[in-house]
Amino acid sequence: MYEFRFADIGEGIHEGQILKWFFKEGDTVKEGDTLCLVETDKVNAEIPSPVTGKLVKLNFAVGDTVHVGDVLVVIDDGKGEVKPQPVSEDKQAEEQGVIGEIEVSNEVIESSDEAKDETITATTQKVLATPVARKLAKDLGVDITKVKGTGPMGRVMKEDIIRESQAKQETIPAPEVPVARPEVTLPKMEFKDNVERVKITKLRKTIAKNMALSVSVIPHTTSMTEIDVTKLVAFRKTQKEVAQQRNISLTYLPFIVKAVVLTLKEYRMFNASFDQENDEIIYKNFYNIGIAVDTEDGLIVPVIKNADKLGIFDIAREIQELSSKARDRSIGLDKLQDGTFTITNYGAAGLSFGTPIIRYPESAILGIGIIQKKPVVDNDEIVIRDMLPISLSYDHRIIDGGDAGRFLARLREYLSDPMLLLLS
Amino acid sequence: MLTKQFDPLKKKQLQILDENGNIVAKDLEPNLSKDQLLKMYKTMVLGRVADTKAVQFQRQGRMLTFVINKGQEAAQVGSAAAIEEQDWVVPAFREFSTLLYRGAPLYNLYLYWYGNEWGSHFPEGVKILPVNITIGAQFNHATGVALASKFQKKNEVVLTFIGDGGTSEGEFHEGINFASVFDAPVVFIIQNNHYAISVPRQKQTKSITLAQKAIAYGIPGIQVDGNDVLAMYVATKEAVDRARRGEGPTLIEAYTYRLGAHTTSDDPTLYREDKEVDEWIKKDPLIRFKKYLIEKGYWSEEEDQKLYEEYNDYVNDVFKQVEATGFYQLEDVFKYQYAEMPQHLVEQYEAYKHYLEEVK
Amino acid sequence: MALMTILQAINHTLDQQMEKDSTVVVYGEDVGVEGGVFRATAGLQKKYGVERCFDAPVSEAGIVGTAVGMAINGLKPVVEIQFSGFMFPAYNQIAAHVARMRVRSRGKYHLPLVIRMPYGGGIRALEHHSESQETLFAHIPGLKVVIPSTPYDAKGLLTAAIKDPDPVIFMEPKRIYRAFKQEVPEEEYIVPIGKAKVVKEGTDITVVAWGAMVREVQKAMQELEQEGISVELIDLRTIKPIDKDTILESVQKTGRFLVVHEAVTSFGPGAELVSLVTQGAFLSLEAPPTRLGAFDVTVPLDKGEHHYLIDSKRIAYEVRKLIKY
Repeated sequence: MYEFRFADIGEGIHEGQILKWFFKEGDTVKEGDTLCLVETDKVNAEIPSPVTGKLVKLNFAVGDTVHVGDVLVVIDDGKGEVKPQPVSEDKQAEEQGVIGEIEVSNEVIESSDEAKDETITATTQKVLATPVARKLAKDLGVDITKVKGTGPMGRVMKEDIIRESQAKQETIPAPEVPVARPEVTLPKMEFKDNVERVKITKLRKTIAKNMALSVSVIPHTTSMTEIDVTKLVAFRKTQKEVAQQRNISLTYLPFIVKAVVLTLKEYRMFNASFDQENDEIIYKNFYNIGIAVDTEDGLIVPVIKNADKLGIFDIAREIQELSSKARDRSIGLDKLQDGTFTITNYGAAGLSFGTPIIRYPESAILGIGIIQKKPVVDNDEIVIRDMLPISLSYDHRIIDGGDAGRFLARLREYLSDPMLLLLS
Repeated sequence: MLTKQFDPLKKKQLQILDENGNIVAKDLEPNLSKDQLLKMYKTMVLGRVADTKAVQFQRQGRMLTFVINKGQEAAQVGSAAAIEEQDWVVPAFREFSTLLYRGAPLYNLYLYWYGNEWGSHFPEGVKILPVNITIGAQFNHATGVALASKFQKKNEVVLTFIGDGGTSEGEFHEGINFASVFDAPVVFIIQNNHYAISVPRQKQTKSITLAQKAIAYGIPGIQVDGNDVLAMYVATKEAVDRARRGEGPTLIEAYTYRLGAHTTSDDPTLYREDKEVDEWIKKDPLIRFKKYLIEKGYWSEEEDQKLYEEYNDYVNDVFKQVEATGFYQLEDVFKYQYAEMPQHLVEQYEAYKHYLEEVK
Repeated sequence: MALMTILQAINHTLDQQMEKDSTVVVYGEDVGVEGGVFRATAGLQKKYGVERCFDAPVSEAGIVGTAVGMAINGLKPVVEIQFSGFMFPAYNQIAAHVARMRVRSRGKYHLPLVIRMPYGGGIRALEHHSESQETLFAHIPGLKVVIPSTPYDAKGLLTAAIKDPDPVIFMEPKRIYRAFKQEVPEEEYIVPIGKAKVVKEGTDITVVAWGAMVREVQKAMQELEQEGISVELIDLRTIKPIDKDTILESVQKTGRFLVVHEAVTSFGPGAELVSLVTQGAFLSLEAPPTRLGAFDVTVPLDKGEHHYLIDSKRIAYEVRKLIKY
């Protein structure tokens, strides 16, 4: 059986009218015989039979309208089952939804409402913001529609988003530092089996973002040295008890903080930020020293504000308080912000040297290792000394190796001579 | 010189074989071998059968819009038979039998009208430019091909075609003028089939003949009975010889008639009377050529009937092959736009492939 | 009111304008006796005579060039280029003269003429019958370019074009010439040139289209609606001059923008619209303003055209991408 469908016979025809049949049902037709005459908008066409066989059914009478795709006639071509007609029945064409899917003319579309009064709907304007600001809001998880814009015409500025983000992140330590950076598409990680996927904490997420940001923006370099702190060790011993009486556990860290602040005052570049967009270095006239604290959930960096105005015991007390609050996560956001320089103490973990990562947008970070007794040469004699290994990472865009050398030399002076430190 | 003898300004028309198959100009009858005559005739029959079947296929929804050639086979084949192996054909779009005669496979011709550009990719050695749908542009191309031949001393002649409507386009004039200025070895053939879609030849130009337009360019022109394959051969041969001698172009008006519609999308009943068509059916080029061949003892009615049947099957087979090709590869949409795919196309291609995978 | 296809609306409008204004003349290839290859001018020669509706020689440059002269000398020619792919011989006239007569003569001469032409793909046509060349006209200073997508707009825009004191390129999406019908008022009315239409209001994304693509977008919208995506569809209607206000107002509301066109992508009309949106609605954008156009290739013949034509599925796909952005 052959189902013969009416085709688009003239560049965009949708329908035609049967003018005349040349055969009737039951007649035998030869391939190429004219079956009928059809009138369309464009042509009057004789429709020839595609196959030879017996006319089983004429689906339309003279005067009927036949649409493109309608089965015009069924012809018994001796081949049994209904054989689909090629081309116009092509499945691929239908899937693609273009060819052979021309709509039929009888469809009536909605009348135009052009003449009617235009219904004026109040247009609610979207938030105004640059794409960069939108991206920032997305990255920081800030709903930009809730941010009050302070820019021209109420535009939401980057600063507004940062402010919103910080206010929101009371419970999240270490506010993320915003900066536009190139998107990196990471390759998919696929492991066959024997792996466990664990969602990271919000804190870890923030740490990861901040670390990646710092490393991707700041060209790091690290200088390392050892400082002879034998005198400091001895001095601390003498002061430990005094401190204990004041309920202070005196570690070496307060001394180091003090020494660092003194050194920073002289080498301001290490207490600065590089504003690359504006080609400016921002020197800070305050000394807020971040202390990296190792907590169960990850690294938190509380900040000792105005450390230059504090004595050793004050600093020690601050460190004590901040780290315990950091560990039980009761620390306020204000204690985590506005650092100007950071010290990380991996000595507590028994390590000597490291390549610490700067807290963006600071310009340097000091890593301190474990103080150990070591044989050193002094006046051509081998003597045993307490040695403090230190590693200084700094922003190589604005700080050169020579600067770092001078910084460390001055730091060495302070740390190797506690009296000088106390008197300064 | 025939062009002197048959001055278009004096409304002379070259005819050798009249509509009844009689030789009316014995002295001009070409001395063609039986083989060549039969080759010409068989090509005309194949052209007629393929043309008729193509219209049927189209009405069955199997072929796209098709340009109908019926009645113009003598103009198409008589001219094609007059050029040599090394010569070029630069067609308009109604030269089906010319292309067949010059070695274009029926498969290619069908494939093109079936909506596949591979149809214009002719086999090696077939010197035919792709069909040109935009009216008239091919005249300048033909002149360019001819000039290149002349400048490089390749001894090639170019045979190019246009319709009566095409003579109104600027490029018709520009092409002939350019060729005449440089004596380009090109033969311009106007297939005057009397209608540019619906517009009759009289409404196209006030010139009495189209051949007389040659005079303005300072080249020979001649009007030929386009349904007389022998006259078409003789006139074209003379023009080709002249071109090859370096004497420049000739304009030939093949006075013929389109027995079918302009294309399968056209309805000629809107603009011409059946009576007129009936008059021209009597002048069918195939009938008179067949009579001539039978008269010469080269052909018989039996052989003729067999030939039609044979071609009927052959054409069906070829079209089945064409239909089997279906849609072409996605890559084909992009690959041939430039020698190498530039970045923007590579990106569009890749993005679309990605899309196809994603929506699957 | 009567139900009409786009083609019938055009025929009716030409008839109405010829009747009302005796300076309107209609000509082109096959437009007289036959009434045009698509029958857009059917019956006009019979009704108004051969001096007001006639068959031109096969000469596009002649058709447009004489229209320039007629327009200067008191007539309003509404000429037809049979297919937009055949307009190139007339391109010299269009670019060098039609577009420039007013400016060259500092207003001494102006050209109240309309050049109609069917354009676009999807009808399984031959070579040079499927292109979308609106940019080739819109790029020329001095031309107005109009494309209707409904019978109602076809009448209103064509009426406006004929009454316009300047030349209008009137491109007709032949693929939907007869694809549907719509109520078209009998009386004369105008759809202003330069005014887009908000076909459907939405909140999530603005999609601009014209011609046959409007329907494709509408099909895509049915799919997208079920997914909860609300599209605001604008039918541009006039390619040039662009209705900037309607588009920007919409994008400022939705924050996302997609333009869909049949024309090839590079240097196409979408580029103009994306530029306009980027500049005018920059602060409202939640996703990059995007264009969806045809590949930068010659329109493939039928056996490859399904890859080339933009359909509702691809539109929906592109919209989803922008919503998720």
